[in-house]
Amino acid sequence: MLCLCIPAWAQDRQFEESSPDLDFEIPEAEPRKPIEINGYLETAGTAYGRDKGSLLFQQKYIGQDLDDQTYAGDLRAKIEAKAQGDAALAYVRFKAQEQRDAEGWNADGVLEEGFLAFKPTPSMTVEAGKRVMKWGKGYAWNPAAFVSRPKDPDDAEETLEGYGMVDADFIKSFDGPLQTLAFTPVVIPVSEHFNKEWGKPGSYVGAAKVYALLLDTDIDVMFLAGDEAESRAGFDFSKNLTANFEVHGEAAVVFDHEKPLLDSQGNISADRYDAWSFLAGLRYLNSYDTTFILEYYRNGLGYSQTETSEYYSFVEDALAAYQAGNKLPLMKSRRYSQAYSSQNAMEDYLYLRIVQKDPFDILYFSPALTTIANLDDGSLSLSPELLYAPVTNWEFRLKSWFFLGDDDTEYGEKQNDYRVEARIRYYF
Amino acid sequence: MKRIWLFVLACLLSVTPAQAMDGNEFLRQLDKNLYPPSYEMYRKIIDIQPDGTKKEFTLYTVRKGLDKMVALFLAPPSDKNRSTLRLGDNMWLYIPSVGKPVRITSLQSVTGGIFNNADIMSLDYSAEYNCEDMREEGDTYVLKLKAKSNAVAYDNLVMVADRKLGLPLRIECYAASGMLIKTLYFKEIKEFGPGFHRPSVLETDSPLHKGYKSIMVFAKIQKRDFPDEVFTLNYLPSVEGLRR
Repeated sequence: MLCLCIPAWAQDRQFEESSPDLDFEIPEAEPRKPIEINGYLETAGTAYGRDKGSLLFQQKYIGQDLDDQTYAGDLRAKIEAKAQGDAALAYVRFKAQEQRDAEGWNADGVLEEGFLAFKPTPSMTVEAGKRVMKWGKGYAWNPAAFVSRPKDPDDAEETLEGYGMVDADFIKSFDGPLQTLAFTPVVIPVSEHFNKEWGKPGSYVGAAKVYALLLDTDIDVMFLAGDEAESRAGFDFSKNLTANFEVHGEAAVVFDHEKPLLDSQGNISADRYDAWSFLAGLRYLNSYDTTFILEYYRNGLGYSQTETSEYYSFVEDALAAYQAGNKLPLMKSRRYSQAYSSQNAMEDYLYLRIVQKDPFDILYFSPALTTIANLDDGSLSLSPELLYAPVTNWEFRLKSWFFLGDDDTEYGEKQNDYRVEARIRYYF
Repeated sequence: MKRIWLFVLACLLSVTPAQAMDGNEFLRQLDKNLYPPSYEMYRKIIDIQPDGTKKEFTLYTVRKGLDKMVALFLAPPSDKNRSTLRLGDNMWLYIPSVGKPVRITSLQSVTGGIFNNADIMSLDYSAEYNCEDMREEGDTYVLKLKAKSNAVAYDNLVMVADRKLGLPLRIECYAASGMLIKTLYFKEIKEFGPGFHRPSVLETDSPLHKGYKSIMVFAKIQKRDFPDEVFTLNYLPSVEGLRR
């Protein structure tokens, strides 16, 4: 033991001499600052290749003489501020965007999150304010994310806007096969000014999640019910099978879900049923540092191929009626475009993302290829991307999206054939 | 008089040369020499590219016992507030923009440099490896270590350790195929507290990334106890609140 107390004369000076320009000081090791402000500024240029023959393009732009290509320039900023004490936290995140496209300038800003948190002990947290609470284990989709807005599977890691809520977190750790148990209750009040998506002013939504780390497996069970919201129940899990192989899954049911339908004759109806959704996925890292993320998604809320074909058939007839001077059917079809043309509005999807880290020995360079295939109609989107961050706080991304499919398919009828975006982001 | 002789004998036993230990015993002692049982610390990772370009990351890390660890990125701003949790063989990454922890593998690299998650979130060597062979070479021991499970990032290690100090000097990390993945060099022994001396710099290079070098600098390794609940997914977004 005495030998272990040998003083620093045993230091290896050779290393210090060989690295004279390295700064070994760690200024961040100083006490925490009470207020911190961070964020990013970014600029992006995007080219869109219009598919002027597609149904959805004609549905939106019929009668307009537009170019085959269009361009947009964006300036975006995300700013977050945090004031932190020992047991309390105040947090705000604001996102602003200024876009210049063929139609002119558009400015937009949104408070994504703004809440107060009280953390008297690591076992308990109470929060109130606008909050993003993401549930579920899926990378591209989360059918069990009951209290958050749907994310964009094409940019799954971007921040979202939250809902106004009061929530809490109670955590307990154990020794043995059950290592963690946590309970997260959430209350979402509805008023005239916020959370209107959830019902009439004065109504409430209640949700809860129970998390367990059991036998090295993450397991969540979640519920949601409300005065006007459709009741839901869900489950997810995630587990590492080996050091480079992870599996995950989600299941959710929306009880007595009402799905609006518009048939080929323009008749409006609603289908009521218990909508079950499933997701099964894996994440695999090979010896070449290539990451594969593969997910199958069964969207129980989505439209079948028959239902979608009926809608497309009505849009086709509506376009013909428009040419003949009757605008009403087209206006009717547009009212349903949000439901039928939103992202991944059909039933069966496959997601594959392949990311190669540092290829050709280029550090901080990550090319990736992402595809989302609609298994019902055989159409797909293909997104190659190059991400490079060679300089601290600077990130360069070139990403494109190609939409491939026949007539009357989801990706074949998109308004654009392709989209290419070059983006520069600076973090501060 | 008999008591005095017993005391002298006990003292002699306490400084018995390490060769009297078996490999696993030496490994356990080496772990104790590297870290207190429960602690917090700050680390800076410096990635150096062949053209001399550098990128630096700062982490705040807390650890408890043999299998619980959290690391939080404090700098640069592009990575700030990312945090990684390790509970035994389980590892998660929390990215604020993603908003929820996702499971990751120990072979991935959080920073993009030569250090991967297994290096940044390494537990005690004796917790992850069995010593299969230990031999003396001058002032050093050379230990051959074999991973206890396939969840460990490197299948086997060859560790060269200082016999007197009971500290590692160099570790070669091999895949199960026998391929050398990287070599870790422990340097700059410093005093982190009364009687607590250990390397303050860990350097690595890899035949898979020729010309690149990564350095990890340790600072403020201090004993501190934490509740178990700190090492949970739910607490991951709140780790910075532990800093004083």
